[in-house]
Amino acid sequence: MKRISTLKISISGIRGIIGDSLTPQLAGAFAQAFGTYVGGGQVMVGRDARPSGTMIKEATISGLLAAGCQPVDVGICPIPSFLILTKEAKASGGIAVTASHNPKEWNGLKFISRDGLYLTPHQTEEFLDIYHQGDFTYAQLERYKSLLVESHPTEPHLRKLLGRFNADLIRRKKFKVAVDCGNGAGAVLAPQFMEALGCEAVFIHALPDGSFAHHPEPLPENIREICRTVVENKADIGFVQDADADRLAIVNDKGRPLGEELTLALAAQYVLSQKKGSVVCNLSTTRAIDDIAAAWKAPVFRTKIGEINVVEKVLSAEPETAIAGEGNGGVILPDIHPCRDSFTAMGLVLEYLAASGQKISVLEKRVPKYFMIKDKIEGSAEQAHRLIGFLKKKYEGRGKMNLMDGLKVDFADHWIHVRPSNTEPIIRVMAEAKTAEKAKAAIRLLKKEIADLRKKI
Amino acid sequence: MKLLKIGISGVRGIVGDSITPKLVMDFAAAFGTYLNSKPVLVGRDTRISGPMLQAACLASLLSTGCDVLDLGICPTPILQVMVKKWKARGGISITAGHNDIKWNALTFINREGTYLNPFQGAEVLDIYHLGRFKKASTDGLGQMRNVAQDADEYFTGLRAFLDAEAIRKAGLKVVIDSSNGAGAYFLERLAGVFGFELIPVNNEPNGFFPHDPEPRPRNAQQVVSILKVVGADIGFLLNSDVSRISIVTETGESLSEEFTFPLVADEYLKDHCGPVVTNLSTSRMIEDVARNRGCPLVRTKVGQSYAIQSLLQEEAVLAGEGSGGVALAAFHPAFDGFLTMGFILETMARQRKTISRLVGELPRYHIVKEKIYCPPLKVHSVVSEVKNFFRGREIDTSDGVRVEDKSGWVQVRASGTEPMIRIIAEDELKNKARERADEVINFINVLIQ
Repeated sequence: MKRISTLKISISGIRGIIGDSLTPQLAGAFAQAFGTYVGGGQVMVGRDARPSGTMIKEATISGLLAAGCQPVDVGICPIPSFLILTKEAKASGGIAVTASHNPKEWNGLKFISRDGLYLTPHQTEEFLDIYHQGDFTYAQLERYKSLLVESHPTEPHLRKLLGRFNADLIRRKKFKVAVDCGNGAGAVLAPQFMEALGCEAVFIHALPDGSFAHHPEPLPENIREICRTVVENKADIGFVQDADADRLAIVNDKGRPLGEELTLALAAQYVLSQKKGSVVCNLSTTRAIDDIAAAWKAPVFRTKIGEINVVEKVLSAEPETAIAGEGNGGVILPDIHPCRDSFTAMGLVLEYLAASGQKISVLEKRVPKYFMIKDKIEGSAEQAHRLIGFLKKKYEGRGKMNLMDGLKVDFADHWIHVRPSNTEPIIRVMAEAKTAEKAKAAIRLLKKEIADLRKKI
Repeated sequence: MKLLKIGISGVRGIVGDSITPKLVMDFAAAFGTYLNSKPVLVGRDTRISGPMLQAACLASLLSTGCDVLDLGICPTPILQVMVKKWKARGGISITAGHNDIKWNALTFINREGTYLNPFQGAEVLDIYHLGRFKKASTDGLGQMRNVAQDADEYFTGLRAFLDAEAIRKAGLKVVIDSSNGAGAYFLERLAGVFGFELIPVNNEPNGFFPHDPEPRPRNAQQVVSILKVVGADIGFLLNSDVSRISIVTETGESLSEEFTFPLVADEYLKDHCGPVVTNLSTSRMIEDVARNRGCPLVRTKVGQSYAIQSLLQEEAVLAGEGSGGVALAAFHPAFDGFLTMGFILETMARQRKTISRLVGELPRYHIVKEKIYCPPLKVHSVVSEVKNFFRGREIDTSDGVRVEDKSGWVQVRASGTEPMIRIIAEDELKNKARERADEVINFINVLIQ
């Protein structure tokens, strides 16, 4: 069988495996292409806590210097803090060295515009054209810049968070909070944030060394330790950040994980009770969002998968977006910055607890109950594309079909979704229903159909 | 045509033209592969392009699994000594020495703290050309450690090697022009170790050079005028990585860089007689000095790598080149400007003589150094053609073409660092030296046209 390439170049940036596809030469060339694209000026360079971060960061700095940009090394930095810093510092752009929730052997680059947003698909295309043509700027020596260091990269972010949330209200509650930073970049801001909100916080995996004591994706099966920590410390709530601190999973006061879909649902439930506006989320986010929005008569806009797609919709949505995000625990509050932010999610949930005076185990019951199964099968984007072509014919007329991103079919009591991953050589398969049995049955059927098709093609 | 020079001990070129992040990463990866995941030191001179090359080196070395000790801005001779202190397997010095600001280069250092010898260099080049670099997995990547300005062992060693007390007592006033190079960071320490009064010139490491960082009379005007004003005992010019120096006397005479080596040798050989190594382009002064002291002289091809390899092989006591680089085997087999300055100050202090008097004791020749630009692809054929000009005479072809007679010599060779042909002629008489050079230059000009 043909070996599946581990290098992914997509709208989410580039990702690859260290020691295999992601070499310093490759990272340096992409950085130089980006320096060419932004045309000089300061470019922020941050990284998540992965051990390979230093190596890729140095390659990135080299490429930027060669293109005549002035790199600003901000070190390990949560991705939302990094996006906000890029905007607030009026930089030409930013490069984040991160592979988000991918396992430790991965790393990658995410490219950020001067607005502190990921490059849009259109911008990405322009930038990739420069990379592929290899027509890089080689700065004249008179235009060479020195390297700068920013040692307080999270300050603008923290200021915005504390300006947005009712910190006094939260402080009065003296919450006890357990936080699992997952050895990721969140650890550089989480203690300060919890202290500012007057929470008594117990931290685990708070050393940002990328050792990833558990898989960096905050799925229930990866976070047993935080559940125990909540129980042992009689905490009011537990939080789990992913490796670059843009996503959040929640553990209730009984030590039970809520499931990552609940993060956005809870946030939406609280924000919409306070503020009118639309909701934006991607195609595979739980139907609970539609139910909650309907209760507040808020319109819901669904987008393709990929944070930038959600963000682009947020920036253009009419009426203005009150809350947005993804079912994977990524919450976007446009008041703070149009990006997924685990700190925003923590702030919202803590304020919800304080304002309602209820325990998290009570509030979660107010969210309409659904069961979602997220599964994946091996396969390249090309294989996924062919599969989806066949599946489309098979599902014709059986439900409400959506081809915006892969294939999503909505039925009265459940939905299914098949699409290629943007970041890994896998095909994602999902189903959601009112009951676990129904969801399991739907995914079983879907996978069987895929297996049959694969035998044929 | 891009200017890129790949030599036995490194690679040199013009930044943004041939020196790109990709090229630097590939060479550093080749060196990291050669070192096979062992610790390596990285330092650079002050060139504005330095951080770009440095970041590229760090990334590549880490990717091959080498731990990196980052010295930041560091003169090459200090890095060479520190390789041994850190028990590193090698080092990369990012510097283009005397070349102007447009250039930069990687110089590879082996575990003994010397330039790679030709065999080691060939091995690294083979890996580079094969392009099969070691790629460590996440858990096998190298770790980085910042050891910027770490030079304590170097200066302790230097103080022990020379008679620091004698220099201190002499109370010398010294003007030093580091050309805003790597020396700028360390001159205060040197002055502290030897207790002389330092008057620094061009001592701002701002990434640019006030003049080409080449120690020779052409670049000495500032030192000469300041030296006269402050009444200093001696002036020095350094190249950008402090491997070479030239001298200005207390009378304001800026000496040819050819004087540096014979001046040191004349004093050092008094107490340490042994073989002396120099290259084929260096002044006859050293021949006379070695003969007077009864020491054999060995001539090699031009370049620190060749000189040092010969120094080690012949168990010589010192090696040096007419460009102002001097190595004392007993200290460290490397051209070292700090050591050379210290030794000259020690000589002045111990003999209680002015620098002009010490220089006056040396035999004097007249040397003419010229260079002709030549398209890189033609350089070697042109040099080879020059043999026809000297038909019938005894020709030494170990480095270009060299012809010698009783009163002088002339050499034509391809530059190791630039697309140039160098012509060096020396004679007892000034006009004869000029004649020797001019007749060959005319011949070459016709060839090139």
